[in-house]
Amino acid sequence: MASNETYVIPDTYQNTTPAPELDQKTLNKMVWRSLFLQGSFNYERMQSCGWLYSILPGLEKIHADNKDDLAASMSHNMEFFNTHPFLVTFVMGIVLSLEQNKVDIPTIRAVRVAAMGPLGGIGDALFWFTLVPITAGITSNMAISGNIAAPFIFLIVFNAFQFVIRFWLMNTSYKMGTGAIDMLTENAKEFTRAASILGVFVIGCLTVCYGGTKLGLVIPNGTTESYVAHTTTVPTDEVSSFTDQVYGTDGKTALTGKDTAGNAATAGITDLGNGYSEVTYMDVVSSPVTVNIQSILDGICPKLIPLGLTLMLFALMTKRRWTPIKCIGLLLAIGLVGGFIGIW
Amino acid sequence: MEFNAIQVLLVFIVGFICGIDQFSFLESLYQPIVTGAVIGLILGDVQTGLIIGGTYQLMTIGNMPVGGAQPPNAVIGGIMAAVLGISMKVDANTAVGLAIPFSLLGQYGVTLIFTIMSPVMTKADACAHNADTKGIERINTLAMIALGLVFGIICALFFIGGATFGTVISAAIPAWLMTGLSAAGGMMRFVGFAILLKVMISGELWGFYFMGFAAANIVVANTALANPALIILALIGFGIAFWDYQIQTKFKTAAPALAANGGDEEDGI
Repeated sequence: MASNETYVIPDTYQNTTPAPELDQKTLNKMVWRSLFLQGSFNYERMQSCGWLYSILPGLEKIHADNKDDLAASMSHNMEFFNTHPFLVTFVMGIVLSLEQNKVDIPTIRAVRVAAMGPLGGIGDALFWFTLVPITAGITSNMAISGNIAAPFIFLIVFNAFQFVIRFWLMNTSYKMGTGAIDMLTENAKEFTRAASILGVFVIGCLTVCYGGTKLGLVIPNGTTESYVAHTTTVPTDEVSSFTDQVYGTDGKTALTGKDTAGNAATAGITDLGNGYSEVTYMDVVSSPVTVNIQSILDGICPKLIPLGLTLMLFALMTKRRWTPIKCIGLLLAIGLVGGFIGIW
Repeated sequence: MEFNAIQVLLVFIVGFICGIDQFSFLESLYQPIVTGAVIGLILGDVQTGLIIGGTYQLMTIGNMPVGGAQPPNAVIGGIMAAVLGISMKVDANTAVGLAIPFSLLGQYGVTLIFTIMSPVMTKADACAHNADTKGIERINTLAMIALGLVFGIICALFFIGGATFGTVISAAIPAWLMTGLSAAGGMMRFVGFAILLKVMISGELWGFYFMGFAAANIVVANTALANPALIILALIGFGIAFWDYQIQTKFKTAAPALAANGGDEEDGI
């Protein structure tokens, strides 16, 4: 807690001489570690600690000569991180190439945030909506018919795909990042600004896409009256007694409403020609009305609560110097009190 | 149902491994199609286990941990479906139905663990500030073991207790506590967003945050775009950022030229 207040992450590394390129062995080691990206998953930083755990072998090599730089690098890599677990090596490769070239920390941070967001959607589409339904769908049917090979086929296909992607992305993106370094350093300030714009934009998107907090509060607000149609057959000379319920107060316009099954209906009188008439008339029924607070808020702008909470926490952290842990405590209290009085 | 200590231990181990595997490692060992067969093997009825596993798996397709959402827990659900199906000798679909309350309990368990783990990140921060690499490795590993232990114990207890136990537990937890906890759990991510904003935003970039917020609202309103939403949004964001980059670099090359021209004029005067 205290360390959060006292430790300030610098903007530049003390030693800005690029470190030697990471060897294949270290890259492979980090691919294996990336399997444990979500080992310490939590709601505050999501994968951040697992992310740092995964890239540690690389960071240790890159910042081997300067412990302060290693601390700075580890500290900024402990910030909020969330991406698709199977595609994380792509972000790892790029970030490691930037770390290796000792690029300014705000630049690395901006690239990391900009890269992690879109991968979530790509990974979901690739794995959960394509690979799993196909492999699990086919092998489930094999299993239901009692084929013992089914679980093995599922595991082999799924994992072969997963590992090819993990290793390939790591190597490709590391090379890509190193190649793009010259361009990055030449216009570093402008690039950081652009990457920060994309990053801030993505956080705005995440506020909407990941922010699911909603009010379930419903307030009763009086009653409403509506017409319900009934149809009956009466002697034609008694029809006049239904006039009010067929034509309303002006005596001309046929009333419209819904029948008991909920379908639209119009009132009217049909002379059946045998001394009887079929009359469709309206009864007035009153039903309770409720005010759904969430739908009122959504009418102003959807996702106002996630936006409000994010801005509130931002204000508490910057203006009041609240620590993240204090913010978590506040949210926990809001959640539990809210659960008790029933606003969720 | 008759069972011995070795079976309880084996179920514990399956729960332990799958509890970890649902988020880390291979992320496929925990799938019901696998656990069904494994539980069947432990209880001496592989065939039934396979069939129940396959049935449960079909149900979970399309109910995946997408976009950070927590579906009913497939680890506990899959294991319990196989346990109940084999011990109570009911058909596969009934077994899957009976396992649903357990999978919901598992979902609450996950929510609880993810909430409890949030404050631990402060300890991880301290390790990072001191360049304590061993500390980070320890936190990540211990968190995983804790998750595995919770799932192993839950699975073993449910295995011993069977169907009645799950219903009793579900009924004992007040509803408001569960909704409150899951609401709080859902809000924790805003702390992470706020931290990122704090480090990335300078006064002039606020507009882009609201732009992202507004653009995302438009895209998610179209249900057909629910899955590719973030890709589309990233493209919009990229367009804006790239445009800004081009303008800023042009400014940079244009500014010295302007200054040089200005200087010439002054010399002329």
